[in-house]
Amino acid sequence: MALISAAQMPQKRAGTIERMLPWLWSGSLLATLGFLVIYPMLMLIVGAFTVVSPISSATATEVSRFSLQNFVDTLTSPAVGQAVLNSVIACGAGTVFAVILGVMMSWIVVRTNTPARRIIGEISKVPLFIPPLVAAVAWSILGSPDTGLLNIFFQKMGIAININLYSMVGLITVFAMYYCPYVYMFASSALMNMDPSFEEASEISGAGALRTQFQITFPLIAPAILSSMLLSFVIMLGIYGVPAVLGLPANISLLPVHLYQLTVLSPPQYNAAAAVSIIMILVTLVFVYLQYKILAGRSYVTISGKGFRPKTLELGIWRWFTFALALIYIVVVVILPVFALTVMAFRKFMFIPSLASLFDLTQYSMGHFESLFDNPQTLMSMWNTLEVGLITAVIGLAVALSISYTVQRSKAPGRRLIDMISTSAASIPGLIVGVAYLWAWIGLPDGLYGTLWILGLALVGRHIPDAARILASSLIQVHKDLEEAAWIAGSGMFKTVRTIILPLCKPGVIATVSLLFILSVRELGTSLFLYTADTIVMPVLLLGLYESGTLGTTAAFGLFQIIFIAGVIGLANVIRHLVTRNT
Amino acid sequence: MKYPQILVLLGASLIVSTAQAQSTGFTATPELIAAAKKEGKLTVYTVQDPEGELKMVKAFNKRFPEIKVSMLRLPGGQLVTRVKAESSSNRLSADLISFSDTQESNQVAHVFAKYAPPNAADYQYLEADKDVWPRAIGTWVICSNTMTEKNPPKTWKDLLKPEYKGRMGEVTILTGGSGWTRSFFQREVMGIEYWQGLAANTPRLYPSGVPMTDALIRGEISVGALVSNQSLPKVAQGAPMQCFFPPEGVPAKPQVMGLTKTAGSPNAAKLYLDWMLSPEGQVFVVKEWFMFSALKGAPTPVGGENAKLWFVEREKSIRVQSAWVDEWVKIFTPKR
Repeated sequence: MALISAAQMPQKRAGTIERMLPWLWSGSLLATLGFLVIYPMLMLIVGAFTVVSPISSATATEVSRFSLQNFVDTLTSPAVGQAVLNSVIACGAGTVFAVILGVMMSWIVVRTNTPARRIIGEISKVPLFIPPLVAAVAWSILGSPDTGLLNIFFQKMGIAININLYSMVGLITVFAMYYCPYVYMFASSALMNMDPSFEEASEISGAGALRTQFQITFPLIAPAILSSMLLSFVIMLGIYGVPAVLGLPANISLLPVHLYQLTVLSPPQYNAAAAVSIIMILVTLVFVYLQYKILAGRSYVTISGKGFRPKTLELGIWRWFTFALALIYIVVVVILPVFALTVMAFRKFMFIPSLASLFDLTQYSMGHFESLFDNPQTLMSMWNTLEVGLITAVIGLAVALSISYTVQRSKAPGRRLIDMISTSAASIPGLIVGVAYLWAWIGLPDGLYGTLWILGLALVGRHIPDAARILASSLIQVHKDLEEAAWIAGSGMFKTVRTIILPLCKPGVIATVSLLFILSVRELGTSLFLYTADTIVMPVLLLGLYESGTLGTTAAFGLFQIIFIAGVIGLANVIRHLVTRNT
Repeated sequence: MKYPQILVLLGASLIVSTAQAQSTGFTATPELIAAAKKEGKLTVYTVQDPEGELKMVKAFNKRFPEIKVSMLRLPGGQLVTRVKAESSSNRLSADLISFSDTQESNQVAHVFAKYAPPNAADYQYLEADKDVWPRAIGTWVICSNTMTEKNPPKTWKDLLKPEYKGRMGEVTILTGGSGWTRSFFQREVMGIEYWQGLAANTPRLYPSGVPMTDALIRGEISVGALVSNQSLPKVAQGAPMQCFFPPEGVPAKPQVMGLTKTAGSPNAAKLYLDWMLSPEGQVFVVKEWFMFSALKGAPTPVGGENAKLWFVEREKSIRVQSAWVDEWVKIFTPKR
C-alpha cells in the first residue's frame, strides 16, 4: 500500500502543476506586458481624461478630476477631422503600394532565379536604416516641384515631366517606398519557410507556374502579408517626419503633425495628445480584431516533418525582366535617396540651380563631417545606441517569442488578451509613447531611471508588436506534429522551442532581431523623454542636429547611421555564419 | 516693469551700445571659483540648439577647464514636461535650466532658486520674481534668396506684394513660442488685414524655422521671415541669402535661464550663469548665436544697430492666444 501511495502522490502533484502552469505562464506574460505596455498606457489614459500631468503631486486634486473634455475637443475639432481623413488616405494608399512592392521584391529575391538576387535582397533593406526625418528631407531634395534634382534632370534631358512630392500623391509615394522594405522583411521570411510540395501538387494538377504563385504561394503567406499591412499602416499613422516635410508645405496636415504641434505649444497639450492617442489605440485594436477574423479557421502550415528547401522558380528568359524590375526598385527606393543624402552631407549649401552646379566639386567639402566628429556627443551616442540596440534585440526577442508562441501555439488562458495588449501600442506616435513611459517609470526605484537599461526596456515595449508579428507569421507555418513529436520524445516546452521551433523559424528570428536593432537605433520619441546627458542616443542627437539648422551635418550623421546599422548587422551575419559552419 | 518701457530702454541701450566701448571682462570671487572647481561638474537642461550650447560650453571651458558641463537638450514643450515629471519625483538632475521664454519657465517656476548674478542691476529685461535671467534675445528677420530674388522686400508690408505670391514661406503659428511671437506682432502692429494679405500670397507653411531656412537657401521659396539665430549664421557662412531687421519692428523673445533649488553643483552652476550673463558671455551670445543681449551696453548683431525690438505683452498674449491661433489656422490653412 505504502509503495502504491508513494507512486501516486507525485503523479497527482504533477497533474496540479500541469494545470497551473498555463495560468502561471499567462500570468507572468501579462505581468511583463503590464510593466512594459499596460502601466505606461494607463498613464496615457489617465492623462487623456485629465488636464494635468498624472504624476504631478502638486496638482493631485486636478488629477482626480476626470473629464471627457480632451475627447470632446478632439472629436469636434475640424482640424483633427481633416488630419484623420488625410492620414487614412495617405497611410491607407501608402500601405497598399508598400505591400505590392514589398511582396513583389520578396518573391523575386526568395523564390525566383533572378540574377544577383541575394545582393538585391540585402540592398533593398537600406531604407529601413534611414531615419524618417532624414529620408523625408532626402526625398524633398529629389522631388521638390521647383528645385528637385529629378526635375532638374528631366528639364536638362528635355523630358516634360514635373514631379511634385509636396502633394498627397507625393506622400503616398514616399510612404510606399519607405515602408516596402518593412513588408519585405515579413514576406521574405515567410516565403523562405515555404514547403514546395504544395506548389508541386498544384503544378501536377495542371496549374501553371504563375497561377500556382497566385493560388498557392501568396495565399499561404497571407498571415505575413496581413501582419505587415496592419503594422505598416499603424506605423505610418504615427510617423512625423514624412508628413511634416512633404505634407505641411502643401497644406496637408496628418495626425502626427497635429500631435507634434500639440506638444510644442506653450503650455504643451500632452493631455489632448493623449486623447488622440487613445483613439488611435482603439483603431489599432479594431484592425487586430479584423486580422483575427480573416485568419481564423484556416491553416497556413507550410513546414511539416519532411525536410525541404524553398523551391526556386526557373524563370528562363523572364529572369532578366524580374532583374530589371528589381534594378528599377533599387535605383528608385535606395540609390536615389541615398544619393540625395550624400549630396546633402558633402555640399556646403544646397542651392543647386542646374545639373552643372550639382557636379561642381568646389561646392563640396568634408566640413559637415568635421563638425559632426568635433562634437563629443557623436561617439558617445554611438556606443550608447549600440548597447541599447543589443538590449532591445535580445530582451525583445525573448519577450516577443514568448508572446507569439503562446498566442499561436498554446491553449494558454488569456492568449488573445495577450495578443491584443502587445499590439495595442503600435499606432501611438513615438513622442506620445515617450511621455507615457516618462510618466510611468520616473517613480521606479533608483538604479533604473537615467540608465541605458530603461531606454532598452522602453524600446522593447514599443517594438513588441513588430517583433511578435514577424515571429507569429513564421510560427503559423510550422506544423504542430513537429512539437508533439518532440514532446513524445520527452522534451519539455523550452527544449522544444530551442531545438525545434527556433531552428525552423530561423528566417523569422533573424528578421526579428535585425528589425528590433534597426528600429531601436531609429526610434526617437521613446528615447527623447528618458535619455540623460550621459545616455544620449543617436536619434536624439540627430534631432538636435536637425534643430540646430545644420542639415548638412544631419545628413552626414544620417549616412553615418546607415553605415553603422549595416556594419552591425553585417558583423552579426558573419558571426552567425561562422558559428553555423563550426557546429 | 512694463513691456513698452522695456522696449524703449532696450532700444535706447542698443542704439547707445554702438557708440560705447564694450567691457568684455568677467570677474568672479575666488571663493566661488574655488567652490565651483571643487564640484568640478554641472548639468544644463537647455532649449538652445545643441551646437550653439556646445560652443558656449567650449568658451566657458577655455576659462574654467576644470569644470565639466553635461547637457540635456529638448525643445521647449518637451522640456517643460520633462522638468515637471522629474521635479515631482524628486529626480531633477539639472543645475541650470534654460527655456525659450518666461511663458515656458513660469510653468515650472517652483524649481528655480532665488539667485541674482553680480551684474543684475545692468539687466533691462527682468521678471518680477527675478528667478530666471534673460541670457539671450531671439528675434525675427526677413530674408530672401540672393540668387532667385532680384527685388527683395525691405519691410514687413512688402511681403504683401503680389509679386511674391507662391514664392514665399511662413513658419506655422503652431511651432511654439517663436511662431506665436511673430504672428502676434503681425496681428497687433500691422492688423488682421496683414494676416489676410499674407495668406493671399499662399505661403508654403513649415513646421519650424529650420526646414524653412533650408528651403530658402535651396531656392524653393524666395522670401520669408526667419529666426535670426537660424538664418544669420548661414549668411555669415556664405549661403546665398540676405536678411534684414524690418523697420516696422522686430518681434523679440528673451531666452531665460535659472538656477535650480535642487542643484547638486550650485557653485559651478552659479559660475556658468554669472559668466554667461557677464559682458564676456553676452559678447559671445551676440557674435556666435546672432541674438540680442538684454545687458546694458552690450553690442548688437551685425545690422541690428537700429532694430526696434518688440516684445509680447504677456497678459494680452495669454488672453488672446487661443482665439488668435484658431483664427490664424483658419486664414492660413483652408481645408485641403
